Amino acid sequence: MSAILILTPLIVGGGWTAISAAAAGAAVALGLTVRATAKEEITTAREEIAVKNSVEVEVKNSEVLENVATEQQIVLQGEGGVEVRVKRDARGRCVVCASGKGKTKAQLKAFAERFTERMTQCFVYNRVMTELKAKGFQVMSEDRAKDETVNIRVRRWEG
Amino acid sequence: MPQRDVEISISKTGEVKVHMKGYKGKACTKLGAFLAEVVGKVKSRQFTSEYYEPEEKTAIRQEQKQGK
Repeated sequence: MSAILILTPLIVGGGWTAISAAAAGAAVALGLTVRATAKEEITTAREEIAVKNSVEVEVKNSEVLENVATEQQIVLQGEGGVEVRVKRDARGRCVVCASGKGKTKAQLKAFAERFTERMTQCFVYNRVMTELKAKGFQVMSEDRAKDETVNIRVRRWEG
Repeated sequence: MPQRDVEISISKTGEVKVHMKGYKGKACTKLGAFLAEVVGKVKSRQFTSEYYEPEEKTAIRQEQKQGK
């Protein structure tokens, strides 16, 4: 072996498209379905949120999404009436908002944080795999451990 | 042709552990810098003895056939 690096992720690059892909990946993993992406449906969703508990969590180390409109959101529906929205806040940061009737703030915060973690993991996975394949690496193995860590082994022959 | 293996672990929080195998010297540094740029920023770095070994150079062998 020659070197071991520990890297902290930054949610930078790829803009809203990359964030949407990561959110979709996290949604699949956590059993959520896409409810709305169009503006008119999101307006309806906002009105409904007024009667629900709601918690907002900022995605750590995310870039300022300057070119993304504040109306641009993804609304996901989960079991038990939990709704997750991924959006750009007023400062341009990417935030995850969880809401639901009959759910406590603590329950919603825990769910929003779990979703944020999985979305960050999906974002990093998509970026790393895309860049390594572009560099000519081949995937030799890939698995998900019990602690939800994704382990990937790639190989390249250099001449 | 030398074989280069990279083991990558992405934790549930998105933190990435990269273990580069078969790399020596600058080749290792170059790939490490590339992956750091792709993921975000370096939290820690640990070099092993192989890192300090001389880099491999392409050997050009010229075989001369002797006449019968």
